[in-house]
Amino acid sequence: MASYLAKRLGASILTAFLASILVFMLVRLVPGDVVAQMMGQAGGAEAEASLRAFFGLDQPIYMQYLIWIGNVLQGDLGTSWARGLPVSDMVGKAFMVTLEIGIVTLVVATLVGVPLGVIAAIYEGRPLDTIIQGFNLLGLAAPVFWVGLMLLVGVSSALSWSPPLRFVPPTRSLADNIAILVLPVASLALLQAAAYSQFVRQNVVSAMHQEYVRTAIAKGVPVRLIFFKHILRNVLVPIVTFMGLILIQILGGVVIIESLFALPGLGRLLLNAIETRDYPVVQGALLLVVVAAMVVNLVVDLAYRLIDPRLRTA
Amino acid sequence: MTRHSLKRAFVGALLCGVAAITAPGAFAEDLYGPIPANPTMGGALNMGLLVEPPGLDPFHQAADARIRVTVLMYQGLFYEGGNGEAIPLLAESFEVSEDGLEYTIKLRDGVVFHNGEAMDAEDVAYSYNYIRDPENGSPGAGDFSVIENVEVVDPLTVKFILSAPNASLPMTLGNKYGAVVPAGYFDDPSAKNRMNAESVGTGPFKLVEFNPNSNLLLERNEDYWEEGVPYLDEIDFAFLPNSASMLVALRNNRIDLVKLERPQDVQQVESVEGLEVERWPSLNQKPIDLGAELAPLDDVRVRQAIALAVDKEEIKNASVGDYGEVITTMPAGMADAWGVPTDELSFMSRDVEKAKALLAEAGHPDGFDLTLTTINGYDWMDPAAVTLKEQLAEIGINLNIQRVDLGVWIDNFRGKTMGFTFNDWASQPDPHLLFYRHFHKQPEGADFRNWNNDEASALLDAGRAESDPQKRKEIYADFQKVLAETVPTIMLFSADHVTVKNGKVQNFSQHPTGWYYGLARTYVGE
Amino acid sequence: MKAMTMTRNGRPSTLARIAREPGLVLGTILIVFLALVALFPGLFASQSPNAISVPDALQPPSAAHWFGTDDVGRDLYARVVYGARVTLSICAGSLLLSALMGGLLGLISGFFGGWVDQVLGRLIDVMLSFPPIILGVIITGVLGPATHNLILALSIVYLPVFFRIARAGAMSETGQTYVEAARSIGLSEGAILRRHVTRNVTPLILTQYMILFPLILQIQAALGFLGLGVQPPTPDWGAILEGGKDYILFAPWMSIFPGAAVLVTALALMLVGRGLQRRIDRR
Repeated sequence: MASYLAKRLGASILTAFLASILVFMLVRLVPGDVVAQMMGQAGGAEAEASLRAFFGLDQPIYMQYLIWIGNVLQGDLGTSWARGLPVSDMVGKAFMVTLEIGIVTLVVATLVGVPLGVIAAIYEGRPLDTIIQGFNLLGLAAPVFWVGLMLLVGVSSALSWSPPLRFVPPTRSLADNIAILVLPVASLALLQAAAYSQFVRQNVVSAMHQEYVRTAIAKGVPVRLIFFKHILRNVLVPIVTFMGLILIQILGGVVIIESLFALPGLGRLLLNAIETRDYPVVQGALLLVVVAAMVVNLVVDLAYRLIDPRLRTA
Repeated sequence: MTRHSLKRAFVGALLCGVAAITAPGAFAEDLYGPIPANPTMGGALNMGLLVEPPGLDPFHQAADARIRVTVLMYQGLFYEGGNGEAIPLLAESFEVSEDGLEYTIKLRDGVVFHNGEAMDAEDVAYSYNYIRDPENGSPGAGDFSVIENVEVVDPLTVKFILSAPNASLPMTLGNKYGAVVPAGYFDDPSAKNRMNAESVGTGPFKLVEFNPNSNLLLERNEDYWEEGVPYLDEIDFAFLPNSASMLVALRNNRIDLVKLERPQDVQQVESVEGLEVERWPSLNQKPIDLGAELAPLDDVRVRQAIALAVDKEEIKNASVGDYGEVITTMPAGMADAWGVPTDELSFMSRDVEKAKALLAEAGHPDGFDLTLTTINGYDWMDPAAVTLKEQLAEIGINLNIQRVDLGVWIDNFRGKTMGFTFNDWASQPDPHLLFYRHFHKQPEGADFRNWNNDEASALLDAGRAESDPQKRKEIYADFQKVLAETVPTIMLFSADHVTVKNGKVQNFSQHPTGWYYGLARTYVGE
Repeated sequence: MKAMTMTRNGRPSTLARIAREPGLVLGTILIVFLALVALFPGLFASQSPNAISVPDALQPPSAAHWFGTDDVGRDLYARVVYGARVTLSICAGSLLLSALMGGLLGLISGFFGGWVDQVLGRLIDVMLSFPPIILGVIITGVLGPATHNLILALSIVYLPVFFRIARAGAMSETGQTYVEAARSIGLSEGAILRRHVTRNVTPLILTQYMILFPLILQIQAALGFLGLGVQPPTPDWGAILEGGKDYILFAPWMSIFPGAAVLVTALALMLVGRGLQRRIDRR
């Protein structure tokens, strides 16, 4: 287990490192830089050059990278070029917002999706199953941002209500926090609940078709008992794995919902930073996204091993 | 004129509003806007912003979105009067030497910075000496290059020494670039960044917090030097990523006031109870720029042919509906003071036959392919581009549209490789500040369009040096005739500033620059 | 793969099989219809998708304009119909590119193993670690705005998926006796690879292609919504949505119809993808 963990960690760190180089190069390949934007339609070449030197943009790229990665390894993500605030503060704040959206969405999607999936599986082939599968398909097919837009306008027209504009963390005011998150979470959770429900249905159905389950049913063992003793245990592993997948998907897919609902999360921060060529913020935020995805993967992997004893010795 | 079934009465009311605002002298007497009769003190105002300020540093950040809000925190020596007059702000009065090379400026007494220190001549000299030095990397450095030195005469008097006469100096010492900050402020290398955490200006509002992607919170400056103002305790600017969420928020009273980026958004809120729409004249302009580095735009006949093929009215209607004014060679807000009658300008009325003849003469009888660059997020450009495409097709030019993001566009623009593009810009209400940097040949100007016109450059030099208003107007009229004749740019229209507020907001006025000076005179009450 | 060797007896009649898969049938009919729309838009819409008419701007749906008009008076029905070709060909093209590149790299990685596999695997991990939309934004930024660059950017998003399938397929095969046998009778590795590809990996890739199609469709629409779609005035569903979002209160039809087009297309593709998946699983 320990050697496995070490190997996994090593691979993850290497991946993160390679990703950081890739990001560093890619953002610099996008034409235009922060200085050009600060200068706008004014200014002279001399002022521009001196500002570029201030940001270290006059140095060769590998030097810029070495300086940056050196600072990162010492825990310093630098200062935002456009906003002048510490990158770690900006990214940290934004990450908390995105993480909250992600976790709340995951919880809602699980609470809705798992029971739906189980019900559909139990009623396999019957009308209720068809209805649930229809919901799953619609949820999966509808573009998330479009659902969000329709919700925003629909709710605003029907109830004359719209979410507060200034994000408030749940620690400051739970009521305001919920009011802000209800629409974005609803639009994201629709998709994820559908994905969840479909996935759970598939797994439960295939578990129910297993030989031993059929035999148990034939022997007259109560269905409820079979369900909780055998089926649930069998589908728990894939469900946990799926949870991780979905969390990663939410963290990556929340970009457009944050833009639509004006939420100060990581996705919107990234989009804005790419737009303003705020390299330190792009690099810092993407590094965090990559690391977060890896942590989730690792946790899922470990949970997987804990639930399924057969894998423990592997 | 009545596009989109706008109610006639509504349009009428709006037009009256404009007439009242443009009435001469409306701005001349009152700094920041009219003083209300019975203002209510206190309260908070929520304003929505569609474009987030990229930073709050008046010295190093040229973005208009920055200027709009920092004018409330930082002040220069003069205020940009809407009619083109520079009104003393932190200055009290000024004298010009006979040769026009020395401006002696008396400073206002009793002005205190947000950090509690009193402002004096040392601070003023430091601030302007800092910004004029290109080593310090200010985008405004070019505008201040004519200043040779700023000297302290006594604690409340400074002397600006110029290398050449510059009639626009007071307007240059306004609020677009730079401001007066405490002497030595930038000695600390992290000072630039600190401006996003605390303000060090002298303005009516102080910075409380700036949360990227979220909001900007300002509070009343208790030690402000003007008596009895400002009225608001707090202004909270919310950054909204799109008009859809902004309009929804406005409709549900989550925000009290917005300036619409696309004036025609009015249609979406006009039916909402309790919202009040106002229109204000504007100094902005939306032109087509023609970079001469891109063949065949290097041929003046081709540029003239394009000018003749363009139907400005139709483009304006597609872009902003009735909420704008077609212009010739001067933004709408300056046309009365500085404009030239249309019949004295060449290539101003559409003539497809003549355009075709010019193209044939230039060796393109069958037209050619041309790429128009537009900017992602500038909503008016999309409808304008497809409209222009159809107009140019009539003279055989096949227009491809290429939409790039602002960073790429600015990179091309500054690199003098803009090609054929839409632009969207504004300046202070002064012809020197409007034209010089953009159109004077290098190295004195930036000549972004590779126009390289000697006659125009000579006129711009003469206009800068001339202090007699009448002669100045004639010089800039001649310049505009050259501009119209040789077409480095085709100014299409100025979009009105359109603001929407709910019943709570009282006495807000919108400055023609688009900056939010008016908030210093706004109060809330039922 | 073991299931492949099973003999298939008692095969039900074609009609009966179709009846068991109503979703697959419905999906196929819809896709055929959409393909017809994409191939022959002129048969479905009589108006031009690009003809502007400013006085007719922002008209609600009517007999003359079934889906209403947009902000410069273009007929939205025509734009949605003609948009099918643009949107679907971008998605199909980019996914084809991912399948080709990802499939090829995956085969190479799985077949040769060793350091080749290590290096390629690591690179794919790096690509997978970025959120797709952000990756799309950065890559379109680097490459510049053009339809072929959009296709290239989109193709990178799901490349890792194809890579993994092809790699797993290749790895499971390399140990098989017939491969050893083929090698021993002197067949070149290239020939083995080729035969293997056609026989075993292609159906998996095809199924995955159908499964990923609705997902790439949504990412493409999302990029269009962010203004990173095709260049105006080309009609594209994402781009129409982007233009419509700012008129959402006044002219919701600008958003409803192109969004519904994305939804219906994704739905049809999912029905077919699921049907195919089920058939593969059953084998």
